[in-house]
Amino acid sequence: MTQASRIKNLTASVAHIDISPPRLEWMGHSMQWGTRVKKGEHGLRLGDLNVGIYGEIPEHWEDQTRRPRGAADLPGMPPLPYHLRSKHQVWADSAADLYEEAIQHRWIPATDIPWNDLSPLSEEVERAVCQVLTELMQAANAELECITYWQEQMSYGYHEVKQFLAVAALTCARHIDAFRKRCLANGGGLGLESRGRMNRAVLESRGGWTEAVVYVYLLRGFYIQAQYRFLLAHAHNAAEREIFANCLADHARHMTYALDHLKYAINQRDGQRAIIQTLLSIGERTLAREIQEPVQRSALAIVFGGGVEGGRQEGTARWLALVRSSIREYLNACEWLGVKRNIIHRDLNALLPLDEQLKPPEQG
Amino acid sequence: MSDALDFDLDTTWMGRMGEWGTAAQPGKRGLTLEDIRIGRYGELPEESDNMSGRPRGAVERPEAYRIGGYTVRAKKEIWLDNATFLYEEALQRQWSSATDIPWETIAPLPDDLEEAECALCTFFNEVEFVAGDVPARWVAKISPDFFEARNVLLAQVQDEARHMDVFRKRALANGGGLTRVTGATSGFIGSIDLSRDFTEMSSRMHVSGEGAVLTMFRMGELFGQNPAEKRMYRLCAQDEARHVAFGIMHLRYLHATAPERHEEIEAYLDEAENLPLTGGTNPAGPQAETSEALAILLGGGKKHYDEGFRVLLAIRKRQLKEYMQRVRSAGFGERFENGRSTVPGRIAALS
Repeated sequence: MTQASRIKNLTASVAHIDISPPRLEWMGHSMQWGTRVKKGEHGLRLGDLNVGIYGEIPEHWEDQTRRPRGAADLPGMPPLPYHLRSKHQVWADSAADLYEEAIQHRWIPATDIPWNDLSPLSEEVERAVCQVLTELMQAANAELECITYWQEQMSYGYHEVKQFLAVAALTCARHIDAFRKRCLANGGGLGLESRGRMNRAVLESRGGWTEAVVYVYLLRGFYIQAQYRFLLAHAHNAAEREIFANCLADHARHMTYALDHLKYAINQRDGQRAIIQTLLSIGERTLAREIQEPVQRSALAIVFGGGVEGGRQEGTARWLALVRSSIREYLNACEWLGVKRNIIHRDLNALLPLDEQLKPPEQG
Repeated sequence: MSDALDFDLDTTWMGRMGEWGTAAQPGKRGLTLEDIRIGRYGELPEESDNMSGRPRGAVERPEAYRIGGYTVRAKKEIWLDNATFLYEEALQRQWSSATDIPWETIAPLPDDLEEAECALCTFFNEVEFVAGDVPARWVAKISPDFFEARNVLLAQVQDEARHMDVFRKRALANGGGLTRVTGATSGFIGSIDLSRDFTEMSSRMHVSGEGAVLTMFRMGELFGQNPAEKRMYRLCAQDEARHVAFGIMHLRYLHATAPERHEEIEAYLDEAENLPLTGGTNPAGPQAETSEALAILLGGGKKHYDEGFRVLLAIRKRQLKEYMQRVRSAGFGERFENGRSTVPGRIAALS
């Protein structure tokens, strides 16, 4: 059927209805007529749209409606509960690029993981893998609950961040999906739930999105990242390799946003540096306790050692290497952000080699 | 702690794990969430007591913190029978507005058509904001025991982010720019935003609100002016159909399992028929400014406004018929026979 005949069919029953003339009050409101953004070699990307008035990202966005940035407003609209309306509360210059990258890098646990490559492992290793993944599922769950709690409170002046976080939340769900499938596809099952110390800290950090980012990413993010990296290095088959490689790439994106945002917040807001230092002082103790929690620690050591026997020495040494690399990355990130840690909680400090342990500054 | 470590390994947890010996096999669609709903892991509680955020089937730890703020804990409040299918389909059908739209096919339009398209894109930005924010608000309130349903909502939040993105791109790609907001989504009484119950929200947003928008996206073939726009509407329709399916299937589940809530749901539908379907949130609704923009696009310019408006009236009729079909499918079709609903009368007025 041609379009003309389709329209004729559609309109046959309404041909008798009188049509009032249009008022056209909605016309003539474009604030920047003539904007013609062209696609580049990577297509038409979100960041490409930031031209002219559309690229003016305000320090503060008073508007509590759903007006897109750059659209003309309509006075008299009731406000909605968008509590995060300052750029320093949410912004990261990389958000638009990370959003596009996340869309391009999408993967599907159902079909992109070579599940047929799974093969039986010794029972103790299978149990350890399933235990580690059960706890990683809970960490990802806390991350997505934290993101969605804050995301809907962010104003549309900073839509790039909201869009990136929309993808980040689904990414966390995808990790949970992949881990669950791995646990239930190789003769094992799920493990014992996490004690939940850091998950609680993440979900309790409700003072602001920036504060949540400190706990989810700066404090715990490197530990999660190191787990993915070590699990990738100790993967037992192509399916596990593919899962952890994808998770690592996804998590790196989340960390990039987080560090970029924290840098921006610290540079733009007086007092933010000191607040973050305090948050870290409080949170490090929780992180240290989580890291040393016997169930998770033992399960990781058994995976890395290839069994309980190997886990006692070799596996534990690799677990310690994982922990140390995550603490070093954490300290480096703090320094890069301008919140250098001169002293860290003693339980975390104790996990570093003696010659790397931070010493309190000498008095007087 | 020195470099020479010799931790004792704790292996007591090995005797405290979930059901063991589970070996789900991938099917022809890979290893889907449906494939792993086996044994204890496939058993959903009617009421969830999971307040620690543990994955369904993991073993409870008495000393774990109760950290979840889960207020949606009854299966009937959130469940739908095809959640796993909708989630997997959502992942399979993700697309990129940067690279999957043939932006090079956009060519300059006469000013009236360009402005009408941009008004529509501005409006769709507004409504997609609602459809992204509101499900996100509910995710952390839903017990992870019903993670399949939660995953569909999370996929929706990402879909809506992409829809905002694609409509913004279109508005800024051909000379028009964003126009004036309609304000139709700003928290009026009876709006999706103000829903205090998940099913109330879903009936307003998925069934009536997104249902009306779905009809519009499907008609994008008629008002899209070039292959880029037609593809944009087609891809959005594909996503939107999943969101609408969520609402219908959830309502259907609730209809079957919670007869005590039928009258309450009927009341939401009464409201929806008087607001999202007819008010400013329906782009083709009688009170919507976007109806004029659509008429210009459908007619091919201001001078063919009347012809375009007649097509719009036909679309309105189609929206109402599709709405009736969805509500019937959810189990609440009696309202169209017993005189409660005003929709049949409105369809008759357009005939």
